[in-house]
Amino acid sequence: MRNERNFSDKRSNNGNRHRFWEKAKTFRLHDLRLRYQLMILFLLISLLPSIGLGYLVNWTVSRVLERQAVDHTLQLITKVNQTLDSDMENLQNMTYLIGFDDRVRQFMADGAASEQESYRLKQYLQRYTTLYPEIAGLLIAGADGQYISNELYARDSGRSLTQEDWYKQAVDSEGLFTVLGQPSGRNLTSHVSYQDNEVVTVARAVVNPDTEKTIGVVLIDLKLWTISKAARDVKLGRTGYLTVVDREGRRIYAPDEPYIDRLPSAWFADGATGAVTRQVDGRELQLIYGESSFTGWRTVGVFLTRESLFEVGQIHFYVICFLFVVCMLGLTASLRLSRSISEPIRLLQDDMRRTESGDLTVRHTAARQDEIGMLGRSFNRMLVELRRLIQLNERKERQKREAELRSLQDNIKPHFLYNTLDTIHWMARKKGADEVSDMVESLSKLFRIGLSKGSDMIHLADELEHIRSYILIQQTRYQGRLNVKIETDEEADEPLGDFFVLKLLLQPLVENAIYHGIKARRGPGSIVIKVASERNTLLLEVSDDGAGMEPERLAELARKLEHPLEAIERQASESEKSGRSYGMLNVQSRLRLAFGDAYGIRIASAAGEGTVVTVRHPLLREPPAFASENEKEEQA
Amino acid sequence: MKKTTLLYMVLIAAFLAYAARHVYTNQVGEGSFRSEELRGELGENYVMVTFLSGIEYWKSCLKGFEDAAEALNVSIEYRGATQYDAREQITVLEQIIAKKPAGIAISAIDPDSLKGAIDKAVDAGIPVVLFDSGAPGSKAYSFLGTDNAAAGTAAAEQMAGLLGGQGQVAVITLPNQQNHDERTRGFQDAIAQRYPGMEVVAVEDDKGDAMVAKELTKSLLKRYPKLAGVFVTEAAGGKGAGEAAAELDRTGELHVIAFDTDKDTLDMIREGRISATIAQGTWNMGYWSLQYLFHLHHDLTIPSPTASGDVAPLPVNVNTGISVVTPQNVDDYYAK
Repeated sequence: MRNERNFSDKRSNNGNRHRFWEKAKTFRLHDLRLRYQLMILFLLISLLPSIGLGYLVNWTVSRVLERQAVDHTLQLITKVNQTLDSDMENLQNMTYLIGFDDRVRQFMADGAASEQESYRLKQYLQRYTTLYPEIAGLLIAGADGQYISNELYARDSGRSLTQEDWYKQAVDSEGLFTVLGQPSGRNLTSHVSYQDNEVVTVARAVVNPDTEKTIGVVLIDLKLWTISKAARDVKLGRTGYLTVVDREGRRIYAPDEPYIDRLPSAWFADGATGAVTRQVDGRELQLIYGESSFTGWRTVGVFLTRESLFEVGQIHFYVICFLFVVCMLGLTASLRLSRSISEPIRLLQDDMRRTESGDLTVRHTAARQDEIGMLGRSFNRMLVELRRLIQLNERKERQKREAELRSLQDNIKPHFLYNTLDTIHWMARKKGADEVSDMVESLSKLFRIGLSKGSDMIHLADELEHIRSYILIQQTRYQGRLNVKIETDEEADEPLGDFFVLKLLLQPLVENAIYHGIKARRGPGSIVIKVASERNTLLLEVSDDGAGMEPERLAELARKLEHPLEAIERQASESEKSGRSYGMLNVQSRLRLAFGDAYGIRIASAAGEGTVVTVRHPLLREPPAFASENEKEEQA
Repeated sequence: MKKTTLLYMVLIAAFLAYAARHVYTNQVGEGSFRSEELRGELGENYVMVTFLSGIEYWKSCLKGFEDAAEALNVSIEYRGATQYDAREQITVLEQIIAKKPAGIAISAIDPDSLKGAIDKAVDAGIPVVLFDSGAPGSKAYSFLGTDNAAAGTAAAEQMAGLLGGQGQVAVITLPNQQNHDERTRGFQDAIAQRYPGMEVVAVEDDKGDAMVAKELTKSLLKRYPKLAGVFVTEAAGGKGAGEAAAELDRTGELHVIAFDTDKDTLDMIREGRISATIAQGTWNMGYWSLQYLFHLHHDLTIPSPTASGDVAPLPVNVNTGISVVTPQNVDDYYAK
């Protein structure tokens, strides 16, 4: 159960996710707003190449710099080594010169010398120290432990110097010049208080070429500063330094605060020169070294790896600065450009939206010469054209309506009978047929007013005359069955008869009242025609006490009256001859066409009680100029 | 608009943070440099000039000079006339002036003959100080050395103490060298003024050679059999005088007061063949000479006398002090 539910949950989840992925998958650049598309594009164009360039420059420069730093350091080291070698060669030469001297050899071989002799020897040795002030001590020692020196003497005169390490080492080297490095624990002291760490000792055994036996040793203490002078001068990077160590990694020279105290020779197994990196006390040190074959000393450049990249860091910094500037410029440019392109499009879009919602008076106002400006001008021209077409259409429509109005009037304008009837009237009078004469006269009046020289509007008085004539004729037809009363509101401010009305308004209504009201009734009926005014409206009421209408029929008629023109057209096509409605629809459509929906016919009726038809017509003191209708509309 | 402003602000803030970090790390790196110390350049070369440049006496001065150089991180050079020859020293000095060093410390062999060369160096803008042996009247800025008259007086006091204020004494010296003259005069004046029972019977010249001194002492002892004391104003002669007394079996009768503390002199004091010696502050001479030159070269002070007088100028005369070495304290003077 539970599993199932889980499963279904999962399914629905999957469904959601699927939809989500679908959405994500269908995301494309051109789904974004144009402005963002442009921004992304410009940013890509400006930033990607500069980032690439910056990276490339950084990478190249750091590589070149690193290689140069190593090369440069190696050169320095080589130079220092050369200086040290030449210093040592000088000392070597000195040991040979001293070794060649007969008195020295004699002293070494013979053991103790006379006071005079030792004074001479001291004077002799003093010559060397006079010439080489870098020498802190110069000592010659014989195989029997006797020695001569101006500067050095044995701390403990009981111990023979031949037991000293330096002596043994010199002897072991069999006449080769030996660099012993800084002395320690030897039984020699300097009268001028040069400490062990202030000097470097070299020694050479003097060998008798005949016996090949060592007859003595020449020892020279070199002042350390002559060595440190060569190395101390060199600054590597900001805090890097050069240090000199002997074969065993013991320090010959190091600055005051070295990063590292001992440099084991195992670190430098790779060859005479090279570079290694070591982790010491949590710091990564880069060691670049060069070895002197003559002294066996190694000159080592020591840096912090972090600091050896100082210049690289500088360049890195400048590159980042450059990128930042490019970024700012790129961002500004992309914002500006994207806005300048997308903004007018947005404005145009807004204008189009307003047009969409029906406002054709909208005009695109931006004055630009580019494609968007052209688009805006085309849009404007299109709107003008659209409006013109709509107006043209309206005019055509109205012309059509007027034509229809005329044809409707023509339907009830049998004017060819008019003159004939007049003739008949006079002929009947002549022959004494008065009834015929009156009837024909009425008929003639009816037609005359009906024609009224072709004008659509007539005085209300004429209209009433017209309906009287019509009633006379009908009364003649329906002998005694028809009572008609015309009531005119005599209390009106102006005589109502002077107002203009649409002609032939009442005749169809009265006709309807007679045929469908009175005729359908048993016994005589009466028709009342009332004329009254109400503010600006003329009210014409035709009421009968005829058959009246069923409510359904009344409702149908009212519906037809809402759309009189369509109803007439349909009746014509269907040849639906429900005569009652035709006359009313005719009147209604004429009123509507002439004056609009505010005017027209209202019907009230009840079956068996009669019908009241009320016409609302505007109060017109002069006939409206239908001819100038078009101009009026233009003004509107 | 607000969004873009925010974007700019974020970008600028990020960049400023990066720049601050960069500057900070650089400063941290800078801090590991000891830049606040009084340090010069290795390119600055200071020269010490002596005469008889190989003799042991200068070695202590040179050591002081070297130690100061080490402390100030500058280079030094030691030059000098190899012999006792004023002309050679002038030549050496001229050579050095031509190389335009940062400063020269010189011990003048002879005030009169070296005055011109010293003035030339000062005129060339090279600071010059004198040590050990001065050259009054030259333009050199300061003199650092033993107050030789006082040293002579101290020797006279010691001699008087040894002889009980009675007896004949002789002086072996290097005449016409100012420091030796002053020692001799100080000795003579003190004897004449304070010890009427004593008499300086001879002042002899040993040319700075132990052998000559030995012969001189022997002949003096022949001429003045009652001679009870010899004051040797220079280092080499003390040894000769002591040896002469030993050879003539007069050790203990002839009191030798030597000058300076070379190994042989100290050995002979320990053996009793020399009664006392005057130890000079030779290391101080070298050390402070370089300090003075350094300060002058870097305009950290101005030479005295000064017209304005508002900056503490270098003292013109600096007494580096003496001490008397006797068998009781001789062990302190051996190298450790």
